[in-house]
Amino acid sequence: MEELKQKLKEQIIEALNLQDTKPADIDDNAPLFGEGLGLDSIDSLELMVLLERQYGIKVEDPREGRKILQSVQSMAEFIQSKQQPA
Amino acid sequence: MKVKCYIQGMAAISPQHTFDGDITTAPFVQTESNRLVCIEPDYKPFIPGNSLRRMTRVLRMGLTTALKCLANSGVATPGPIVTGTGKGSLQDTEKFIKEIEQYKETALNPTPFIQSTYNSVNGLIALQQNGTDYNNTFVHRGFSFENALVDSMMLLQEGASHTLTGSFEEMTEEHFYIKSRIGQWRTAPVGNTRLFEQHLPGTISGEGSAFFVLTAAQTPASKAAISGIKLLYKPSEERLSAVLQELGADADLVISGDNGDSNYARYYELLGEVLPKPAIPFKHLCGEYDTAGSFALWLAAALLDTGKIPGEWFPMVKELPGEFRKVVIYNHFFGEQHTVMVVEKVNG
Repeated sequence: MEELKQKLKEQIIEALNLQDTKPADIDDNAPLFGEGLGLDSIDSLELMVLLERQYGIKVEDPREGRKILQSVQSMAEFIQSKQQPA
Repeated sequence: MKVKCYIQGMAAISPQHTFDGDITTAPFVQTESNRLVCIEPDYKPFIPGNSLRRMTRVLRMGLTTALKCLANSGVATPGPIVTGTGKGSLQDTEKFIKEIEQYKETALNPTPFIQSTYNSVNGLIALQQNGTDYNNTFVHRGFSFENALVDSMMLLQEGASHTLTGSFEEMTEEHFYIKSRIGQWRTAPVGNTRLFEQHLPGTISGEGSAFFVLTAAQTPASKAAISGIKLLYKPSEERLSAVLQELGADADLVISGDNGDSNYARYYELLGEVLPKPAIPFKHLCGEYDTAGSFALWLAAALLDTGKIPGEWFPMVKELPGEFRKVVIYNHFFGEQHTVMVVEKVNG
């Protein structure tokens, strides 16, 4: 899980071109939108694309997306839940 | 069109020191490359970091030039925003098209798609300046900026007190290569120092952004007046001669769009025959691109405002005129879109 979160932070920084941010600056549980990193609605679409491209996960329901993209922790938990064999 | 309007303020990002530099003292930036590249300023004082991270090069250039132009003009709200661009954001367009192919039309990033649309820069200016007025971007190849200018002049005639009018263009490595395949550029490197040594097929590419705050009425801060403009699509030599004579007969200085390309040199030879006056080129300063006419307008206004022609910028001209009050600009884009524009001195 820790490894996944670290990788996810690096991918978020690259995808959103957060030039002055380092993975260590992103708190696992801090909100990604509004406060915290201060991301906006276009960034949320970029993160959806990241999930699809990097992890092969397509988020169909936008209401579900809101919960998934709350923090790095929630994103990592979602990815892990999709990757575990049923 | 013979309606007069005034340039209240202006700004330009180009391959020369036009953004921060003083035209009378800035050195002529020379290059051996056939692709002239803009000297970009530090964007951070103009654009918030959170917005800057998403913008590609031409968006940064366009927005920053517009903001500097507004600041130079002393205008707080932009009013109507009218721009022209031949290609818009090539970087975003290329990225978006490549991703369509790479990801088989699925999982496409929204940012390059949004920013590949031509009116992105206008939208960004309006968002940052809270502008809710008329907002339009013209995309007509070599007439893009000129149509924005004509539209602005009509808006001023209809009662707008001022407009923010400009252009933005970038060249990418890929697009340079594509255009080289159809012979637009010189095959041997000439750069901008040897461009006019010999007229041969092809020219050098360029890019840039120029913005102007235009007003209907003259003010003590007006830098120059635009008193005439005519757009001609593939004109006959007779028609072109007549228009050059009509608009340029009493001009003291000609600014020529000659780009050293022998394929279209006949038009500039005609210019010299119809208007045998002191003339200076400008494409060695900015290169060739769809909206290079905006750089010519910036140059004309800057020369009229300062009253001086920096000799270092025009080493190919043997004798520069000492005094000039009326400038005629003639430019065309690869023989298709031809523009004749008249710019006059004001305030002094």
